[in-house]
Parts: sequence; C-alpha cells; structure tokens
Amino acid sequence: MVPTPYYVALGAVLLSIGMVGVLTRRSAIMMFLSIELMLNAANLTIVAYARQWAAQGVDAAISGQAAVFIILAIAAAEVAVGLGILVAIFRHRVSTDVDELSEVRL
Amino acid sequence: MIGFIVLAAVLIAGAVGVVAFRQPVHAALSLVVTLLALAVTYVTLQAHFLAVIQVIVYAGAIMVLFLFVIMLLNIEGQAPAPHMTWLPPAAYLTALLVAAGIAVTAFIDRAPLPGADAIAALQGGSAEQVGTALFSHYVLAFQLVGVLLLTGIVGAVSLAHRGAATEQRQRRDREARAERELTHG
Repeated sequence: MVPTPYYVALGAVLLSIGMVGVLTRRSAIMMFLSIELMLNAANLTIVAYARQWAAQGVDAAISGQAAVFIILAIAAAEVAVGLGILVAIFRHRVSTDVDELSEVRL
Repeated sequence: MIGFIVLAAVLIAGAVGVVAFRQPVHAALSLVVTLLALAVTYVTLQAHFLAVIQVIVYAGAIMVLFLFVIMLLNIEGQAPAPHMTWLPPAAYLTALLVAAGIAVTAFIDRAPLPGADAIAALQGGSAEQVGTALFSHYVLAFQLVGVLLLTGIVGAVSLAHRGAATEQRQRRDREARAERELTHG
C-alpha cells in the first residue's frame, strides 16, 4: 500500500496548482474553477489521513470520511451561491474580469 | 505504487489543464478529468462511498452547473493582463514554496501505516459506516449542512430572480421613455 505522505504530497501539488490559477487568471469563473481544485486537494489530504487514523480505531477513520462528506455538501452550496453571484454580476457588467470589479471593494 | 504514479500523473495533468487552458469550457472539462481521477484515488484510500459521492455530486452535479453557467454567459478566453507583470512569477514561487513545505513536513512527520487488519476493519468506508457516523456522532453537523444547502438554494434563486426583475423594469422604463419621446417631440 502507498504510504500517506505520498498522497499528502500529491494533495500539496494540486493545491499549489490551484493557487497559481487563482492568482494569475483574471476571469472570475476561472478563479472559481481553481478554487474548486484547491478544495479537492484538501479533501484528498483529509481522506489520506483518515486511512492513517485507522490505527486509532475505525471510528477515527470514519470521522475523517464523514468530514469530507460534509465538505462536499458545503462545496455544493458554495458553488450554487457563487455562480448565482457571477450571473448577477455578468448581467450588470457583461464581463467577469475581476480587474474591472475593483470598485466593489470598500 | 505504479497505479499511484499513473493516478498522480492524470491528476496533475488535469490540474495543469484547469489553470493553463485559455477557454473556460476546456478548463472545466479538464477539471472533470481531475475529479474523476480523484474518485479513483479515494477508492485506493479505502473510501468507496466518498468515491461514489465524488462522481455523483462533484463530477456530475457541480460541474454541470459550471458548464451551464459558462454556456449561459458565453465567456470567451482572454489574453493575460498586460500590467502586473510581477504577479505570475510571484504566484509560481509562492505555490512552489507551499507545495514543498507541505510535502516536506508530511515526509518528515510520517508514521507507519496501520496494519492490514486495522485497514480491513474500515470495510472500504462503506455507506453503512459513514452513514452511521453521520447520523449518530455528527447528526448536528449533518442537519446544519442541510439548512445551509437550503439557504444556498434560496439565495441563488433570489439572486437570479431579482436580476431578471431589474432587467424587466429597466426594459419597461426604456420603452416608456422611447414612447414619450415619440409622442412629445
């Protein structure tokens, strides 16, 4: 079986690729896709450590998997609201370029 | 180990595609590849139920939502920003540092994998196991997530609906003004 650190390293690589996407892309929807990638990298890490926790008993490992399940549900809610906001912005401005939305900030 | 390397290669290729493709549709499809490969990775990590949920919820529902919005908004790929030339190198450097930091920490702080019988006791993270945990220890979190999802749906519908109402009112105003101008002058 592949040891846990390999999975954690893989998750770290995915997280950093998503981070590059968030920092360098200007279209809000591309940033959103990159954020989803980062979220999944974190999920992968939690599942990898959940298997590691099986040494502390089945309950500990299954708790980690239940946490990932809840994160998935939260991600679904986040995507629904986020895409709703994107559509609302696009209606007003006909652009999702975050540089043109800079006056939204306080 | 060979299986893991193949999975890692697919995952990283898909992730690079998400960031590198100019067209949002291509990036979204690349993300679907990544999510499906991630589901296979969950199977290798003894989380079978999560793998199924990953395919149904993420690669199915959420990505369809993304593709719908990309299609609806008709977003074109755009050239990179001419200003802020320092940003991409800084982003690559930060990402490299983060990845290296997490990976090195994980390898330094590693513990031996639990024995085969402890992992076998997980029963591959079946729906029964995860469901029992969700409905006993974590029932409050489960209920709160339900409330959150409901709130999210109501919020998304009201956002889209209010946008449509405003648009309709603006169009009506414009038509009324045009009519006034036509009759008065």
